[in-house]
Amino acid sequence: MTRPDQSGSSTVWSLTSFATLALFGATLYAIFVVAPVEQQMGIVQKIFYFHVPSAYAMYIGFGVSAIGSAVYLLKRDPKWDALGVAGAEVGSLFCLIVLLTGPLWARKAWGVWWTWDPRLTTTLLAGMIFAAYLSLRSMGNAGEVEKRFAAGLALFGVIDLPLIHYSVQRWRGVHPTVITGKGGGLESEMYWALGLSFIAFTGLAVLLIWARASAERQREQTAKLRFELMHR
Amino acid sequence: MLIPPPAHAQEQPAAPKEGAVAETKEDAAEERAAQFVGVRGPEAESVPGGALMLGAYAIVWALLFLYLMRMRGLQRNTAEELERLSAEIRASGGS
Repeated sequence: MTRPDQSGSSTVWSLTSFATLALFGATLYAIFVVAPVEQQMGIVQKIFYFHVPSAYAMYIGFGVSAIGSAVYLLKRDPKWDALGVAGAEVGSLFCLIVLLTGPLWARKAWGVWWTWDPRLTTTLLAGMIFAAYLSLRSMGNAGEVEKRFAAGLALFGVIDLPLIHYSVQRWRGVHPTVITGKGGGLESEMYWALGLSFIAFTGLAVLLIWARASAERQREQTAKLRFELMHR
Repeated sequence: MLIPPPAHAQEQPAAPKEGAVAETKEDAAEERAAQFVGVRGPEAESVPGGALMLGAYAIVWALLFLYLMRMRGLQRNTAEELERLSAEIRASGGS
């Protein structure tokens, strides 16, 4: 992945990249060396340290997509549309990670790969809404109508995020509640590992959204140039 | 002290009253499970937790790698397209 642009922001980009890389190293050390193995589930519980921050990064991606889409609908500025696309794509990537790593943990903890628990179902729903967004945007060069429709879809999809978050508290389900205040919590070393992982995944999500939005803006400018050249 | 109830698994099935029909039923019943045996020891079910964990981490890194490769491809294609368009503009005498 190349830097988003060659301006002064490349220094910030480089620093964020190195910091994120270092944080991932520290996170892996904390997960596999510092944090103890969970008493009942055993080593499979360590999936939790990447699974939960991935869900958080998914919130960041989809949230950014909704913000970009809302501002685009108000201002019609392509840079906000690019942010909407970038957020939806990165959010979908982390949503896929959540939906694939969760069942691997569930197989050991619950004895099944999947169950229609409220949190699992609402997460799948969010993934499907933003998959529809990306499908709409991938149909060639999206015109103004497609962009506005996709922006509306992103705003619709973001309504699902509070449902995912509060589903474990409001509805009966089997999903763990260790960090939502209802469970027994975590041991201090586990908190350290999870905290570091949260910061690392935040950095990664920011970098990916940044790079993808920059690439989308460049792609849009190239398409505009091509159009002008054809109609000379 | 409580006296444990007799185990149903040890009870003998009732003898068939009719000849051929009863024999057919007995053959079908023999194909199904006739008893459940409890596990004696610590391992009730063996699900490989280590393999599942490795699989999860491998999925995370693989997906991130694939996404980075996709983004790199997108940036490369855009740069090539931009270069081609610039060449066309220069060839047509534009600035």
